[in-house]
Amino acid sequence: MTRLANILFAAIIAVVVSVTVVSLAKIRQPERLQSKRAESPPLREPLQSVSTQAATTEQATSKQTTSNPTTFPIIVRQPLETPTINLAGVDPQGRSGQVACSTCHSVRPANMATKTTRELNEFHQGLQFNHGQLSCYACHQPNGSDSLRLADGSAVGYQDVMRLCSQCHSPQATSFAHGAHGGMNGFWDRTRGPQTKNNCVDCHDPHVPAYPKMVVGFKPRDRFLDVKEESHDQ
Amino acid sequence: MSSISASDPDQESHFISYPTFLGRALWSATEGSLAFYAWMTLLTAISLVGANAWAHQVAEGMIQTNMTDQVSWGLYISNFTFCVGLAAGGVMMVIPAYLYDDHQMHKVVIIGEAIAIAAIVMCTLSVVVDIGRPDRFWHMIPGIGKFNWPISMLTWDIIVLNGYLLINLHIVGYLLYMRYLGRTPNPVWYVPFVFLSIFWAISIHTVTAFLYCGLGGRPFWNTALLAPRFLASAFVSGPAFILLVMRILRVTGCYAADPGPARTLIQIIRVAMVVNLLMLVSEIFTLFYTGGAHASSAHYLFFGSHGHDGLVPWMWSSIALNLIGTALFFLPSAMDRSLVRVVACVCVLVGIWIEKGMGLIVPGFIPSTLHEIVEYSPSLIEWKVVAGIWAFGFLLLTIMLKLIANVFNAQPVPERTTVATGGGRG
Amino acid sequence: MTSKHDSTALPVINNFSRRAAVKGGFATLGAAAFVASISPLRQAAKQTTAAEFMQSHYTELSAEDKQAVIARLEADAKENYGADVTIADDRPIPGTKFVYAINLSVCNGNGKCVEACHKENNHDRSTNQSYIRVIEMPKGTMDLEQGSTTYTGTVPQPDKFYLPVQCQQCDEPPCVDVCPVQATWKEEDGIVVVDYNWCIGCRYCEAACPYHARRFNWKKPDVPADEVNPDQSYLSNRIRPVGVIEKCTYCLHRTRRGKLPACLEACPTGARVFGNILDPDSNIRWILENKRVYILKEELGTKPAFFYFFD
Repeated sequence: MTRLANILFAAIIAVVVSVTVVSLAKIRQPERLQSKRAESPPLREPLQSVSTQAATTEQATSKQTTSNPTTFPIIVRQPLETPTINLAGVDPQGRSGQVACSTCHSVRPANMATKTTRELNEFHQGLQFNHGQLSCYACHQPNGSDSLRLADGSAVGYQDVMRLCSQCHSPQATSFAHGAHGGMNGFWDRTRGPQTKNNCVDCHDPHVPAYPKMVVGFKPRDRFLDVKEESHDQ
Repeated sequence: MSSISASDPDQESHFISYPTFLGRALWSATEGSLAFYAWMTLLTAISLVGANAWAHQVAEGMIQTNMTDQVSWGLYISNFTFCVGLAAGGVMMVIPAYLYDDHQMHKVVIIGEAIAIAAIVMCTLSVVVDIGRPDRFWHMIPGIGKFNWPISMLTWDIIVLNGYLLINLHIVGYLLYMRYLGRTPNPVWYVPFVFLSIFWAISIHTVTAFLYCGLGGRPFWNTALLAPRFLASAFVSGPAFILLVMRILRVTGCYAADPGPARTLIQIIRVAMVVNLLMLVSEIFTLFYTGGAHASSAHYLFFGSHGHDGLVPWMWSSIALNLIGTALFFLPSAMDRSLVRVVACVCVLVGIWIEKGMGLIVPGFIPSTLHEIVEYSPSLIEWKVVAGIWAFGFLLLTIMLKLIANVFNAQPVPERTTVATGGGRG
Repeated sequence: MTSKHDSTALPVINNFSRRAAVKGGFATLGAAAFVASISPLRQAAKQTTAAEFMQSHYTELSAEDKQAVIARLEADAKENYGADVTIADDRPIPGTKFVYAINLSVCNGNGKCVEACHKENNHDRSTNQSYIRVIEMPKGTMDLEQGSTTYTGTVPQPDKFYLPVQCQQCDEPPCVDVCPVQATWKEEDGIVVVDYNWCIGCRYCEAACPYHARRFNWKKPDVPADEVNPDQSYLSNRIRPVGVIEKCTYCLHRTRRGKLPACLEACPTGARVFGNILDPDSNIRWILENKRVYILKEELGTKPAFFYFFD
């Protein structure tokens, strides 16, 4: 009789334990999100109180920005307005240095058909060019060579080169406009500070626009077990 | 317990007599032959070596181990997993003893419980040496720390392991104490706990399996079969360990039981080992027939991959040992007190130790979640610490067994006067 | 106890006092040996002050407590690393949830982000530790099994693409669930943080993370004084103690002050995009609405706040 009672007692304990386990698991399952939220308050309330204390000054500034939405600008780096080119040798007077495009091109007729530097017999001969089937004057302005040429023939300054690129590379331009193309620095939150973005030509050489190859310089060495075994062998 | 003392007015308060019993028990348990003292000294020495290695590990950082960010658990957690199985298996004998009313088993049960206590202590130590900040252990204490219950499976494990330790301490303590007082134990005070410990034994191993199999990022562990496999192997390693301990006790002449219980244990091992192997086969089939990400760890484990094969010898020797052990257990001579039985027990113990440790915990991390293959083999410090933990476990077990033997030998079991001492083969 | 049980229950021992002396001697010897064997612990204990030992969980610290803790940590940095650092306690900006995206069509695997993370977050110099791993993958597969993190040399290789992996700041973070002491949790802006002074170093989170996002401080981090980044935050890039877990926090010491994360600024290809997903005009929102997006190990249901996209 006592044996029976003992078995009964043990069975009841087992049932109670398993019911608690199951019910706890059940509680957790449907309210997985809520339970996390629900259990967080004791964890988060002190956080918030501290954060409000700590961030009162920040609150003030952010309030100011919401009431008066002054956002810092996105600064896109710009190339020089008038680019110069290094002279390859020295002139008869023995001078070397940099000259503007118009220094030479204003006195020379433009050959609209030139597509590669191989066709040239003087100047620009070392220039690498690998940008589709474009001719030089597809992008450079034949008359007024200190500016670039849009597809409709109108001139655009070198500092606005992105307008030129965007004519063909509109998907990249769209991505760029939404921060999904091109590197950036500064602030993600422009209520707190400005953001600086690269220009197309910061990363892409317009004549060879493919992004250059790089060499990996930094590697983690956390697989120290392998290293250890090597050192044992020595 | 107050009801007992109330019914027995000439008795001293248990608050005084129980500590007295413990003190006298400890005193008598440390009495013995020269060989006994040599054995105890050896165990103490190994424990101290382990303690020293651990102290160095704490002082100089876990860099002293060979674990990495890729293989972040190693020998310690492997050993923990095995010891949980041992602890659970130790109590499995309770089932035939009480569920089927097998009176012969009662004498074995208390040994199983003692093994369980030692194994749980080893589990706890294995976890303590694995954590990077043992000085912050108090963060886990409910109330003063922050105990992430019930979300974290590790908190469940802490609860069930400590609960299991307390239950077994109570059962062993109560049974011995009653014998010491010369009274028949009152079933009300231990039988419910014995049954509780059966469920609890299953729970400790299930929860430990849930530690691993709940992790979606580790496909090798993420199998529903893990908990049943753990239980099946516990039903093997526990009884096998008990058989070995019983053999040692009989040979040293400390304590002897009938051959009957041993046969029951062999029957349990036979069934459990077959089930264990069946589940292993089922696991292997699922992994390799399906292929894909789930199989990459298994591929590394069984055949090596991308030129790395550090675990391959471990795993195949485990499978070989398990198969040999199983075959030996099925020999008729395993039913006798033969050498075959001892060899079989050693085979399956070592086989399961590898299977649960180097064959389960470590390959869960190889390849890593980013499929890096970083191999792991324990450092000397890790081996020392684990040896220390085992030595300490054996130290505890020896003292407890000595105590059990003393109490039982000093006072013959009332209902059973034909206690075999040496016993014939049968 | 002088009852009748003495003679029967346990064997009676003669020469009690001599044996007691011998046993006592052995016990003393054992205790002394134990103390000697764990003596290296004394060295470790010296480095842990009582204040550090008793420190409560981050969420239970009052404002004054935090001040005291931060002052202590700054002093520690001066003492142990010889660096003058400022440790702030940056809290989430209300109304923000940080999301990261990487353009896999653009990333060329040069590893500048890995290096920037290493420097920004005061990682251990000897291991070149970093929260970011870049996987070189053969084109035509998303199976990580075929990737390699140990590639070197010229990048990009023509038949390869590159997959940088760091903490995905999951909305269902398995690492947070498994922590037994709540040393790691998810904050309102989505960042999963670790209280380095509460973590016990069990590494269960490291086992649970499917993205290899967590790192363990196997030893005391070694950072020369002149290389220490002095601009620090309690939950972010302060120099971590030994024996605890650390992880990527999307540079919360920068991003919670409105700045971009260090890995993004370092990226020369512009593959990285960061922003507040709750802002409908943010870059991130535009990408998620207009690009093909891939989520790493989406099938695990961790709901990352980290997306990979293609042009």
